[in-house]
Amino acid sequence: MPPRLRLQTRNLRICIQQRQLPIQQCFYASLATAIRPTPPIDQTIYSMPPTARFPHKQPPSHKPPEIRKSQLHRQYQSVLKSSPLILLFQHNNLRAVEWMAIRRELASALRKVDADRAAAGHTEMYADAIKIQIIQTGIFASALRVVEFYHPEEHPEPPKQHPSDPATVSSALIPNTKPTPDDPRFTHGLSRRAHEATSKKKLVLDPLLCGPLALVTFPAVSPQHLKAVLSILSSSKEFPAPKRKVQPSYHEGPVQAGIQKLMLLGARVDGKVFDQEGIKWVGGITGGIDGLRAQLVALLQGAGAGVTNTLESAGRSLYFTMEGRKSMLEDVQKGENGEKEEKADMAEKRAE
Amino acid sequence: MITRFLTDVRTKFNPFSPRAKTVRKFLALLPPNARASGMKIETQVLPRQSKEPALLEVKFRDGKKLNLDLEKMRITEVMEEVDRHSRILARKDELLGN
Repeated sequence: MPPRLRLQTRNLRICIQQRQLPIQQCFYASLATAIRPTPPIDQTIYSMPPTARFPHKQPPSHKPPEIRKSQLHRQYQSVLKSSPLILLFQHNNLRAVEWMAIRRELASALRKVDADRAAAGHTEMYADAIKIQIIQTGIFASALRVVEFYHPEEHPEPPKQHPSDPATVSSALIPNTKPTPDDPRFTHGLSRRAHEATSKKKLVLDPLLCGPLALVTFPAVSPQHLKAVLSILSSSKEFPAPKRKVQPSYHEGPVQAGIQKLMLLGARVDGKVFDQEGIKWVGGITGGIDGLRAQLVALLQGAGAGVTNTLESAGRSLYFTMEGRKSMLEDVQKGENGEKEEKADMAEKRAE
Repeated sequence: MITRFLTDVRTKFNPFSPRAKTVRKFLALLPPNARASGMKIETQVLPRQSKEPALLEVKFRDGKKLNLDLEKMRITEVMEEVDRHSRILARKDELLGN
């Protein structure tokens, strides 16, 4: 069947505009080499075009990138880097219903905190970002080791030409662009270099990282939100659970059964490891970070006033001394002037 | 691990000491409906600096108390110890025709 739209064969033809080069005829071989030099011997033996054999954003990794382990490793690294406050819980055989109920209670409590903060004029809302998630403990430990001990950006190597960079000239010699994970130029978190640099290191958190673990991740160290989370997940005297009248859903069966099976083990706050007491201390900071700031400002203002008083007092005393001296001199001068005038008057009188 | 015959589990541990792994793994082995079916489970998490040894006390249905020494025992050995008595109880149940 012919196509319904009639295409003219002229349009189908690819237009190739060939520039007519002036024909150069080389009569002498010596002149011919002058025009086009022979390539270096390496180029003729090894063909190494400067093209990357892997996508720019997906450099080869230690483990195959498509497996679940690698993706979890990457995900845990990003979680660790993006959340300064992480709570570690052990979960002992919670059921799906119980998880669901706990997540629901946690979300509602955090939303309440956010509403309070909005009323108080704060703009940072973290309710939707604070999540409880179950982790694969071994992979998490490995990711934590990479995050703690592997910092390639602190020892930067001189910038090299990247094959997929358009600024790289096509004749550039780039050592190895094959997708083998052994290449030491790959410095990302999943690279073999990262694995080899960190796999033997010991973590402070190592004894905690065994058994079934769950994380509560916070996008910022916010004591108010921490307080809400603690009062839901591990209530104590300092962080009492919500009352039955205030939040009846918290006292339902699945929530209570689930919370009994959760154990708070420790926390990681800004790279430091805290135990339960430490977590309570962080959660007990009144007024959150603003409260701390207010305390600091008050402290500094008191100190500042003292400093200014001391600094001013020297200048002030100098000023008073100088003023006193000035007034004294003026008095003396006035007195002298007065005497002179009197003497002049006396002389005039005598002359009369 | 046979947990049918346990009525009481009392634990105390410092999560930052490597010896606490056994206790934590033991707690993870208890079934999801353990508390609902009448088992009493008490856990106390000690602060990080405490040198107190980890404690794991198990009580069976027939009143036998088992205080497990966690300085030496691993989780497999703890499971063996608990199962040994649980099997005796199971055998008695069977002979009684339950």
